[in-house]
Amino acid sequence: MCASSAIAGTTLGGIRRIRSTSSAAIGQLARQRPTEPVAWTEAEAIRRAQAGDAAAFEHLFQLHSRRVYALCLRMVGNPADAEDLAQEAFLQLFRKIATFRGESAFSTWLHRMTVNVVLMRLRKKSLPTDSLEESLEPDSENSGPKRDVGAPDLRLSGAVDRVNLERSIEKLPPGYRTVFILHDVQGYEHNEIADIMGCSVGNSKSQLHKARTRLRELLQEEIREQARQERHAAKTQTGPSD
Amino acid sequence: MQCKDFEALLEQDGLDPLPLAARSHLTECSACRNLFADLSVIVSSAREFPAEVDPPERLWVSLRAQMAAEGLIKQSAPASTEKAAWWQALPSLFRPRVLASAGGALALAFAAFLAVHKKPVNVANTNPPTPAVARVQTPAQPAAAQQPRSRAAIAPAPAPQMVAKRRSTPATSATPNFKPAPSADVYGGTLAGMQDPQNLAGTSVEADASLRENLRIINEVIAECQKHLKKHPNDALAREYLASAYQQKAQLVAAILDSGRSEQ
Repeated sequence: MCASSAIAGTTLGGIRRIRSTSSAAIGQLARQRPTEPVAWTEAEAIRRAQAGDAAAFEHLFQLHSRRVYALCLRMVGNPADAEDLAQEAFLQLFRKIATFRGESAFSTWLHRMTVNVVLMRLRKKSLPTDSLEESLEPDSENSGPKRDVGAPDLRLSGAVDRVNLERSIEKLPPGYRTVFILHDVQGYEHNEIADIMGCSVGNSKSQLHKARTRLRELLQEEIREQARQERHAAKTQTGPSD
Repeated sequence: MQCKDFEALLEQDGLDPLPLAARSHLTECSACRNLFADLSVIVSSAREFPAEVDPPERLWVSLRAQMAAEGLIKQSAPASTEKAAWWQALPSLFRPRVLASAGGALALAFAAFLAVHKKPVNVANTNPPTPAVARVQTPAQPAAAQQPRSRAAIAPAPAPQMVAKRRSTPATSATPNFKPAPSADVYGGTLAGMQDPQNLAGTSVEADASLRENLRIINEVIAECQKHLKKHPNDALAREYLASAYQQKAQLVAAILDSGRSEQ
């Protein structure tokens, strides 16, 4: 993405943008990049970036920005914060790139930084209803999900549409949310998640299961709330008869 | 198998494949059966979310500026190997991108002005731009792949300020290459230096097509902003974008009408 792509249109973070090439129209999440001047391998790009090559930085950005931005967007739920967080993650990466020795995969290293940046931001916000630390602690019997016998059936009620699910994901504690997004949305395996989050594979599996069951509870609450609102609306419409 | 054993199995091994003992338990226990079904629906829905989302282009521009300010970049980026049309080279004169967007809009309007004054055209239609917005029809354009597009008029003017406010890093360090937008005289000189005015008049059809394409694009931007605001009515940034888009559209329409090429 060079200077020739500098003029672009309105964007709403992941929603739309105008691209400098004629092949990508607004309204499409096009994957084609305006410039593809080099055919470096990632290792070559890393080596050049460690020497300060701007094109190499851009190449690495192009390779990983979509996943990083998607992760930030899912974690914080709004494009403005996601953009800030993605920039901060890449800045930290590029500041420290000289220290990268290749012990882990570059993408794992980058995602670890991204998760840390996001969790730090959420910790600073100090959401009163979410407990960041409690969700990262090892399992305990008392912290398991509750069984809700007789709860609304998610399949039959159609509650699991994209909006409801996104809303429910945003309500998850950050630790649960991170593991759920990394595994079920972005497709990382538990060993990769453990590497990214600095926990054990067992902990990753446990967090994922808790995240899923908590999401189930949140969606069931959503169904109940919608049913309550519909009943209230129906009652209001009929009103007292004369 | 008991229910707690089934749940422990789900936690350890995930949803599939289920061993025989677990499948057998599901036939006997409706609670576990519902749990399994609900979790399966949640996971399959989550997998429909895109794993990758395109970030806004300004992200790289802002990042690069910050990196340059911190001295992380030691070499300049190689020139693009793509051969760009003359109007695509205009943005390279301006930095940063957010200023180039506003500058490009002015350049586009000025180019249209030059086109009009190089070729005598009976402008029968002298309606003011604002009421004419509704009358301007956006013709159906062929696939954008074949149409060189001038991006200059699209960018919303207030966006730079909104972007600057959202940045967590200090504004001075985020915009080290800040330059004020050149004046109209500079734009005129730039255009004259880049292209023969006679050619500009000769390619008035191209400029007109470019203006229309930009109008189509900005109409889409407006529609997207409106759609987003329906869902997120308190999104101040989206409102700023929408307001800018309307301003840009007014400027574009004015340029089209001045050129005398509008379709009534």
